[in-house]
Amino acid sequence: MSPDILDESCVIWFGPQHVSAHGWAAKLTLVGDYIVECDPNAGYFHRSAEKCLEFRNFRQGSMILERICMMEAFLGEYPYIAAVEKIADLEVPERAKIMRTIMMEFNRIHSYQFWFGQFAGELGLFAMLLWPWVDREYSLDAFEQLTGSRHTVSYATPGGVKYDFTPKFLSKMDIALSRCRNRMPLFDDMLAGSPTFRLRAEGVGQYTAKQALKWGLSGPNIKACGIPMDLRKDDPDPNLAYDMIDWEVPTIHNEDHPGECDAFDRLHQRFKEIETSLDIIEKLLPLLPEGPIIDPKARGKANRLPEGEGYGRVEGARGITTVWLKTMEKAQTPWRAKIRGPCFASYYSLKHIVPGARFADFPAIFGSLDPYPGWWDR
Amino acid sequence: MSDTPGSASTVARAVINKYPKIESKPLDGNKVELVVPIEKIRDVVAMLDEEISDALPESMFGVDLTENKYELIYIFWSHLGKMLIQLRVQLEGETPEIESVADIFPGLEWHERETHELFGIGFKNHPDLRPLLLPEELEGQFPLRKSFKTDRSRMDETGLPKPKPRPAPRGESS
Repeated sequence: MSPDILDESCVIWFGPQHVSAHGWAAKLTLVGDYIVECDPNAGYFHRSAEKCLEFRNFRQGSMILERICMMEAFLGEYPYIAAVEKIADLEVPERAKIMRTIMMEFNRIHSYQFWFGQFAGELGLFAMLLWPWVDREYSLDAFEQLTGSRHTVSYATPGGVKYDFTPKFLSKMDIALSRCRNRMPLFDDMLAGSPTFRLRAEGVGQYTAKQALKWGLSGPNIKACGIPMDLRKDDPDPNLAYDMIDWEVPTIHNEDHPGECDAFDRLHQRFKEIETSLDIIEKLLPLLPEGPIIDPKARGKANRLPEGEGYGRVEGARGITTVWLKTMEKAQTPWRAKIRGPCFASYYSLKHIVPGARFADFPAIFGSLDPYPGWWDR
Repeated sequence: MSDTPGSASTVARAVINKYPKIESKPLDGNKVELVVPIEKIRDVVAMLDEEISDALPESMFGVDLTENKYELIYIFWSHLGKMLIQLRVQLEGETPEIESVADIFPGLEWHERETHELFGIGFKNHPDLRPLLLPEELEGQFPLRKSFKTDRSRMDETGLPKPKPRPAPRGESS
């Protein structure tokens, strides 16, 4: 690029006031309507969760985690509990394992329902903004029935789960899931079947699998490139039930650009993720045994932890979500807690994906990566 | 732990054969930890990049061990080998410095930037060390260090009005 082109460039801020930039801002350098440089800025949502965790005990800590990303609150809180369970060496009853996994997949579906609406809304398709959000209300009603809270469920606790499934919850979950299942073809038609939508999403924001690995992308953003990287399969947490059933990691293989993905592939990937989650819940529900939901000694064991390091990892709705804990001898609080949010990498990667794109495609690019500011600001 | 190709211990052995100063410690499952001297970090990360074709820079962070001792932990995950490599670097000093590896794994660029502002650890040859999360007034204060106080002793910095002193108790209440 010759320097005289850059003379005519202009710099604009996308966010933090922009409606689709919810809590973040990117500085874009434009020449004409082509973006030549993107500088994503973080920090608008920073609430120092890692420092706060150093002052909370091991049963309180997970509640900070779930406030980071409300859409996948349970998936966000779980890695902390997994790390505590690793250090304290806690056993979890089988019933609790399956209940956690069902709740996790249910939460994942809820997160994608929210994302469909958000993504379509950012691209100007406002009917699609509201329709999945109506379905999402049914999921929230079920969460409320079980835990009393619509978003921040705090369902798991070191050693088990807090509340047992009730018939009322099961029927509400059934309503939410069957509604989700029935409406999927409609959404598929609204998005993938719409020529306008395809024009806006296809060929936009392409990257290869190798690039994605280097940037640290995970979850649906890399599965859309055809790599079945999924912690539920690769490194299943011993206190979850993913290894009890048979299921396949969904991936996308696009004939036109193998090993690469664009915004449309990432959308398609998330449709498949919902189908997989529905499938997992359906297979797990009949396996639910009778028995206790928490190890009665766990409460005492989680009061003071021995010296150690624990690494809890889970495949969140947006990618690999982990918490690394270090405790000192007889610790009541963690010495250091590190949260690895999946969107930390996807927000960073905007810097590499966006240059060269047109300004109008920018919402399609970041929307398809499903970024949530809580995960990089924490 | 099995020693089949693609297992974490094989990678660890390859690294130790090349750089005998490095110690390894098996973690649970197909996971291994390497304790890397500060000057070897670039060599080891570059070697992991060569050895593991699909290395994912999962995480990188600092730990304050007090008394001017710090640890840096780098975590790499490989989907093909289903293995996790954790590198641990021990640092010492008031403002310790280490070589940046952001050019080998661009995904670590922001992790290093964050560690720089929260712990005050320098990264040589890092492309961009502006503060990432913190507001300007906290620049150079390193909040995740244990010496950073979060109690009332720093009330003045907030600009909030001072709490009124409580009235002295007036004898015994009836």
